[in-house]
Amino acid sequence: MSTSSRSETAADTSRRPASGRGDSPTFWGRLSNAGPYRAVTDYVFGSTRRQFVLLAAFPIFWILFAHLGPILQMIRVSFLDSYPPSVGHTPHFTLDNWRTFFTEVIFLRPFFRTLVFSVVLTFATLVLVYPVAYFLSRHVKRDNQMLLLLLLLIPFWVGEIVRTYAIMILLGNTGAVNLILKALGLIEQPIAFMYTNFSLSFGIVYLTSLYMLMPLYSALEKIPQSFSEAAADLGAGPWTRFRRVILPLSLEGISSGCTLVFLISTGLYATPILLGGPSTTLFSETIAGFFHVAGDEWPTGAAFSTIMLLTALVLSGTFMKLMGALQKGGRK
Amino acid sequence: MTRNTRILMSIIYWAFVVYLFVPLVLMVLMGFKDSKFIGFPIKSWTLDWYIGVFRDTEVISVFVYSTTIAVASTAISLTVGTWISVLLAGRSFFGRTVIFGLTVLPAVIPGIISAISFRIFARLLGIETGMFAIIWAHAVHNVPFVALVVMARLATLPASHTEAAMDLGADRFVSFFRITLPYLKPALIGAGVFCMLLSFDDFVRSFFLGGYEPTLPVLIFSKLRSGMSPEINAIATVVLIMTAVLGIWAERSMRRMGKGT
Amino acid sequence: MPTTEDPIVHIDGISKSFGKTVALQRLDMKIRPGEFVTFLGPSGCGKSTTLRLLGGFAQPDSGRIVLGGEDVTRLPPNKRRVNMVFQDYALFPHMTVTRNITFGLELKRMTRDRIAARLDELLSFLELDAFRDRFPDQLSGGQRQRVALARALAPDPDLLLLDEPLGALDARLRAQVQLELKDIQRRTGKTFFFVTHDQDEALTMSDRIVVMNQGRVEQDGTPEDLYLRPKSRFVAEFIGETNLLSGPVRHADDGRVAIDWFGMQIEGRAFDSTPRPGDMVTAALRLEKVGFFDARPETGNAVQGRVVNRVFKGSRTAVDVRVGDAGAAILKAYVDREVPDDVWLGWDPANLAVLQD
Repeated sequence: MSTSSRSETAADTSRRPASGRGDSPTFWGRLSNAGPYRAVTDYVFGSTRRQFVLLAAFPIFWILFAHLGPILQMIRVSFLDSYPPSVGHTPHFTLDNWRTFFTEVIFLRPFFRTLVFSVVLTFATLVLVYPVAYFLSRHVKRDNQMLLLLLLLIPFWVGEIVRTYAIMILLGNTGAVNLILKALGLIEQPIAFMYTNFSLSFGIVYLTSLYMLMPLYSALEKIPQSFSEAAADLGAGPWTRFRRVILPLSLEGISSGCTLVFLISTGLYATPILLGGPSTTLFSETIAGFFHVAGDEWPTGAAFSTIMLLTALVLSGTFMKLMGALQKGGRK
Repeated sequence: MTRNTRILMSIIYWAFVVYLFVPLVLMVLMGFKDSKFIGFPIKSWTLDWYIGVFRDTEVISVFVYSTTIAVASTAISLTVGTWISVLLAGRSFFGRTVIFGLTVLPAVIPGIISAISFRIFARLLGIETGMFAIIWAHAVHNVPFVALVVMARLATLPASHTEAAMDLGADRFVSFFRITLPYLKPALIGAGVFCMLLSFDDFVRSFFLGGYEPTLPVLIFSKLRSGMSPEINAIATVVLIMTAVLGIWAERSMRRMGKGT
Repeated sequence: MPTTEDPIVHIDGISKSFGKTVALQRLDMKIRPGEFVTFLGPSGCGKSTTLRLLGGFAQPDSGRIVLGGEDVTRLPPNKRRVNMVFQDYALFPHMTVTRNITFGLELKRMTRDRIAARLDELLSFLELDAFRDRFPDQLSGGQRQRVALARALAPDPDLLLLDEPLGALDARLRAQVQLELKDIQRRTGKTFFFVTHDQDEALTMSDRIVVMNQGRVEQDGTPEDLYLRPKSRFVAEFIGETNLLSGPVRHADDGRVAIDWFGMQIEGRAFDSTPRPGDMVTAALRLEKVGFFDARPETGNAVQGRVVNRVFKGSRTAVDVRVGDAGAAILKAYVDREVPDDVWLGWDPANLAVLQD
């Protein structure tokens, strides 16, 4: 541990009690011997059971109320015929909101587009980022790894909006890419990158790639160098070494990285608005639409959100199960 | 691994770095353009846009507003996340797995759905959209990160440390504040800065739970919708520099924790 | 006011189980003030459980613990006048040596002046003056151990618990620290309750050793008792190196027991048991108590044999001698000189301890 993480410095501790406070106990001494404090602590710590109940009460309340509450409420509202409640009308139970989703093609299209988009982009991100993680964890000296990793993390700290905006500047009709292409004489007229599937994909990969990098890196970093040396010693070529040793051992990183990126891509809202066009509407925009107009659309929005949430969680859950099985299978 | 693949790999790495940085660098440069229109080439340069940002009272007040939200929500996340960690660490009880699962739940819910569910729940509780609602949503969203980091740190605290404290006369409160909390310090700094950045950068929750006053990302978003301008670049650049510096600092304090005792 | 004859610690029939594993079975024990008591045994024998029960880190399933006349069975650690030196020392990494040592004093509502005085006393007593502002990670293993000791001694406990505190030190340093620790105990006059699996440590430092096995006391006595007069096969094998000689009793009279060991007539002493003729008994004989002779020794036990194996161990040689009818048995012994292959072995009957089991 280095000095900066210490709460007390040497100077602090050698402070002699010659400052006139020598005849009084320290703060902690006064506290632990104060009557009311002792009464309270004796009661609280009197039994293990009581202690546990007091420790557990608040976290359990918070989790049920703040973590689970909004989701449960969203599911409940998805079954109501109107929400927020208006004067003189009691909301009734209905399945109409859910039915809407399955009957109107106009909603199904962005839904499936979102799923396909997210799956394809997750895969693309994996292919793009894996070599980077591999290089960092296995070809760079330990001391330099942190430095090179930190370099990649800087853009990571910059938020969704700022980074999306940066992509807009890059890809715009008067953006850097078009400028370069024109200067090279490859094009006469600027290419319309923006507001297409391309710009949206580019932006999403740009936003999510680091969420892929971190799990991959930590999985790869854990694999001892000696493993692939041992494989080489046994006559395995580079490709075999990768396929039979490194890849199976990094499955866990692939699994969590992909899940993370998938869940993030499905939940993006500002990016599809700013980078996409009318032909690239994603489901998040559809959902948001129900909350911008008159209030009685909320239940439909809630139903759609629930459908999205369930689909995303089931898909990523199944994916993680599969990867888990693959890992186990490889171990046999 | 052959020499050629090694070179190829390093080329891929540096290409990736370029890919990550070029858009941001271009964005920063555009903030110096002496013209209202975003686009290359930049023919003449100016500092006016940056000066403008620091003179713009709206930007300043939005900045203060965002910072307030970040600090408040972080304080809540740290408290709750640490509390949950202490409950879950080193103790097995009925329902522990369920509580753990629910603790990390907000982290795996896609952004838009999280925002929508908070919006509906806030309406049910009668919470007005605005600062309080945003703080609450950010705090909930960030608790899983704090809990995961703090739990990892707690797992490395030898049981003998708190036992020694009790052996020397400390009750569980004193032992927590004098032994456990100082031990968690690097984790709390790292997690805290991470939470601040997540809150400061968050768009979708702030957007759906916000009242009339926008947070910084929401302000940039609404300005973007009415047209790109170097002014936005200047604002975004200030945000970028701040978050990057804070982020690096947090990352370092987290890394150090791995090595420390 | 307890007199010196009253036990400072009275462990009264405590039992403790973890699930199905029985850690302690009805342990009874009295410890006198100023004693250096060592609980010795293999891991899982119940010695650490006893320590944790005394410290207050666990509660017994049944039985009582009385400390200085007060029943402390259900009291938490912070309310007991007992302090502990932990196996890993458990020094607080974010506090200096000074802060570590004064931690317990501050909580006793002592004034800052008295804390400072007590600190200085401890620092000079344990020769830690030069390190007062260092952090634990800036100290060597031996220094850390002394800080842990100072911290535990600071609140002036009735009983000091030491949980294998020398395990983390290297062998050379350990021997030195053993003597230091014994010296500190003597000078402070404190009651030390020491737990270890290392017999050397136990023999070197203790006034009294309690050998534990499977939650029970195997033997409780002075180091000499345990070494020369083990009661059970377990104790004999756990402490030192020993020959175990089994055979039927030919004759027994007032502690003198004649045993037929593979046709050889040998004599031993029974200390805690009264074997009768015809009983099968086992007796323990320390390797270094076996003497080598060119001809049959005139007194004591004597057997003739042939050396079958020699292992050089530096200052002495470990020798296996085949003895008895048709070389039926092996006797191990140490010898510090060259011996011929055909030898006579002899020992004092007082060194052949007949075991209870």
